Amino acid sequence: MAGATTALPALRAQIAAMQAGTRTPSAVLPFGDPRIDGCFPAGGLQRGGWHEVGGAGLEDETSAALAAFSALLLRPLAASGAVVWVMRRDDLHVPGLAGLGFPAGRLILVKARDEAEVLAVLEDALATVGVVAAVGEAETPDLKAGRRLQLACERRGATGILLRRRPYGGPVGKAREVSGSAAHTRWRIAAAPSQPPPGEPGLGPPRWRVELERCRGGRPGAWILEQSEADHGPHPFRLVSQLADHDVVAEEFELRQAG
Amino acid sequence: MAIGGGSLGKVDPATRQKPNPPPSVGFADTSPTGGGPVPVALVASEAGTRRLAAVDDAAAAFGLHVGQKAADAAALCPELVTADHDPDGDRAALEVLSDWCVRFSPAVAIDGLDGLFLDIEGVAHLWGGEGAMLDDLLARLARWGAPARGAIADTPGAAWALARFAPDRTIAPPGGQAPLLATLPVAALRLDEAAQAQLPRLGLFHVGQLLALPRAQLTRRFGAGTVLRIDQALGASREALAFRRPVTPWFDRLAFAEPISVLDDLGRAAGDITALLCARLEAEGQGARRFELVFHRLDGRDYPVRIGLSRPGRDAARITRLLKPKLETVDPGFGIEVVTLWAADVEPLSVAQRSLETGGGVSLEEGLAPLVDRLVNRLGEDRVWRADPYESHVPERSVVRRAPLAPAVEASWDPERPRPTRLFRRPEPITVLAQLPDEPPAHFTWRGQRHRVRRAEGPERIGQEWWRKAFDGVGPGKIRDYYRVEDEAGGRFWIYRQGLYGGDDAPKWWLHGLFG
Repeated sequence: MAGATTALPALRAQIAAMQAGTRTPSAVLPFGDPRIDGCFPAGGLQRGGWHEVGGAGLEDETSAALAAFSALLLRPLAASGAVVWVMRRDDLHVPGLAGLGFPAGRLILVKARDEAEVLAVLEDALATVGVVAAVGEAETPDLKAGRRLQLACERRGATGILLRRRPYGGPVGKAREVSGSAAHTRWRIAAAPSQPPPGEPGLGPPRWRVELERCRGGRPGAWILEQSEADHGPHPFRLVSQLADHDVVAEEFELRQAG
Repeated sequence: MAIGGGSLGKVDPATRQKPNPPPSVGFADTSPTGGGPVPVALVASEAGTRRLAAVDDAAAAFGLHVGQKAADAAALCPELVTADHDPDGDRAALEVLSDWCVRFSPAVAIDGLDGLFLDIEGVAHLWGGEGAMLDDLLARLARWGAPARGAIADTPGAAWALARFAPDRTIAPPGGQAPLLATLPVAALRLDEAAQAQLPRLGLFHVGQLLALPRAQLTRRFGAGTVLRIDQALGASREALAFRRPVTPWFDRLAFAEPISVLDDLGRAAGDITALLCARLEAEGQGARRFELVFHRLDGRDYPVRIGLSRPGRDAARITRLLKPKLETVDPGFGIEVVTLWAADVEPLSVAQRSLETGGGVSLEEGLAPLVDRLVNRLGEDRVWRADPYESHVPERSVVRRAPLAPAVEASWDPERPRPTRLFRRPEPITVLAQLPDEPPAHFTWRGQRHRVRRAEGPERIGQEWWRKAFDGVGPGKIRDYYRVEDEAGGRFWIYRQGLYGGDDAPKWWLHGLFG
């Protein structure tokens, strides 16, 4: 019996050593606000994994708010390496990303021919030295493809983002949902009405209604975030309000507009 | 070793059987099962008259000759088979043949209508000597029924003469072409027509007689061209050949004792030949950007496989990895007997290139180069790019696509002009309700959905680039006033009005992009 108790920790250490060989310890990218970071198990968006970002309604096809939000999310990472953006339709307007502060010189754009190729290029890019993050526009990958993406991310600690986007002219309706995908987190992004500073005309800085739908090892959350160049965190976001419940959110909006 | 100029060509274009067939097509056998060969002639229309353009040996035996009227020929020889003369097809076939000859030497030049020059300097040893090489070349051509003659000499001029007028497969020893040329007719010197017609009238029939004359007289009497041709044949003056592809030392060749056809074998051969060439590149401190691997099939068809690198490289393993996925397009047929590899855009590459897979200590660009190469070679060059600013106010022209690893540019887009994250290639029409002519709309309908505008910014007026278009393409009707609007749900749109109110045509509204 005594032999077994000493052997068990030794075996555990052995397994840990084996696992350490295949994966790099994953760093995190904190938002700088405890109300958001508290949802993640490690206190920030996990690097070395991939995240699924989706929208709703027409945004499912146009994917504009998703692209803007993802670009801002990856902006702190882009300082240390290249970002590869894989798409099927080349309607991404890089001056728009540059307007959000994203370094366009670090962006490599790839136009793939089909869904499978998007995932293959994404996987290839994530496993390459010098690529710090990669964004792919595709439908939700199946479990096997998702697992492959995860392994590619772990090789060098790159961060992947999958923009869930319905192919142009594809069937309208709910996107294919894969429960239990290999993604670390799943987000749902929608544009939110902006608020210019008092007394100023026009549009304010862009705002998004951000829902963290699923977070492995963490808990979901929902917020209104605004692009902000303040120096309170590595992410150029400012938390405008926390949304407790999705239904409440909608009501809140109506009230505000009414008042 | 002297320069070897191999030349193959027929004695006379008029006596050839048929235009050179492309080697891959094979050679149709026109001889019937019984009796002698059927005479064949090619016919061309000349000033409204059908005349023979070429006759084969059997037809020549009937007394037919080039330039004869087709009707006369048919009368002389009723069983004559004729076909239309196709000079463009001949030329194309000769080009195919010259590409095929790359298996013997990378430097192949097309000569006239029916000849090829091969520069075989430094490659003859691969066949075990010049004689063996020439025999191999001519035997292969004979096997396809392409009658050919060949000769090897120091200079292209001498090789040309020997291939056409000396016994077949003459090989001139280094520096020894003069005695061999002496007995040949003067036509062997590639003289212009006037000189060629004049010489026999003066009793000069052989090259030897011409060589015996003083040069000064020759020049005065027959022009400098004649002397130049003599000098070119003897090697006293150099001759430039227009090779089909530039001569390069970065060429390697791998021949197999037995033809290979399995995909794995092709991959292994690609790896072997790449390693050969890369070792040489490394020894000389060079790297190349483009590689062309050609599989030469038994039946003469070639399958080139090309790859390009974003930065010069010589990492054999990496180049092989890029080549391998493309080998599936190679159809080995009855087998591949020769593989050649050709490197282009060779540049000095001084730094020892480490294996990139191990990572660490490499610059960002160096690390990205393998990925970019993989993607470019798999997807195509136009599918992988970096977006760089372009000096234009027109939104769809403000981005220029560059190679991902091209040097960085200083310019940037104007941060004061907000641009959408998604820009539609074709602006989509919207119907609007504007309260005042020069104000953003209060409502608009896009894709059947009504959006109430909550906030708006603008206009930003963008005119067409009048210096690029005709004047009527840039009139006031082409001016665009862009507004950035936000609807109640927070969606941010980039819409514009084309044209001005009060003009001839009512202005139209379009949606051009979406902000995130």
